[in-house]
Amino acid sequence: MIPNIPLASIDAARPVFMIVMGVFLMVVVWRMAKEMEGWTARLMVGGAFLLCIGYAILMPMYEAGKIERYVPGAPLHDAQTAVAWHAVKLVVMNAGWLVFGLGLGLHSGLVRMPASLKFPKTQTVSPNESVA
Amino acid sequence: MNLLLEVIILNGFLLDTLGVIGLGLLAMAAARLVRDKKSWGGSMMACGAVALLAARVYVLLAPHFVDRDFADAVGPYAFELLRIMPITLLTFGLAGIVWGLWGHEKWMKERY
Repeated sequence: MIPNIPLASIDAARPVFMIVMGVFLMVVVWRMAKEMEGWTARLMVGGAFLLCIGYAILMPMYEAGKIERYVPGAPLHDAQTAVAWHAVKLVVMNAGWLVFGLGLGLHSGLVRMPASLKFPKTQTVSPNESVA
Repeated sequence: MNLLLEVIILNGFLLDTLGVIGLGLLAMAAARLVRDKKSWGGSMMACGAVALLAARVYVLLAPHFVDRDFADAVGPYAFELLRIMPITLLTFGLAGIVWGLWGHEKWMKERY
């Protein structure tokens, strides 16, 4: 489909690059998350996990031709599988960036937690109360 | 086709919008990290996020205006560059975000 031009010879290195980047992103976020708490850590780790799946597994699989690329209107060898993987890719990559962006927004103070998600620390027994 | 699958595939624009919003949030959050906390990783992350955002917006919009006339108008060399640009921006954007995040994490460790 695309004529092979010498400038685009990064094509061969790109899957490896994406695998390395995906795994490294996950590792860095995991290390950062140890010093965070609550929804910041959850959202960042969740987003990085989705992106790691997308970049380290899905995209190289597409590049290697293991998963059929879905192009609207083009004939497909196995339509159901191609469409299902396409849906997985769309959800993983886009939701990954959204969740990761929200996590980083919380971390940097750009977004604040809605009050309804902030649970007060539950204290079942108050210190002065007799429980007898 | 399953209804949910149909919504996801045929209205892919919805999901792409989510991705664009996420990248925008990422860029703004990174810019805020630079401004409030003076973290050098933040600027790298912001550059990466903007590169990814530009590439993504171009990829989303390209089918609507790139046709034969457009290719003739910009000429063969510019068209080649335009064709390579999204992949390059996606690659360097991802690298920028990951590198910036690593820098920010290192900076956090050094500070505390």
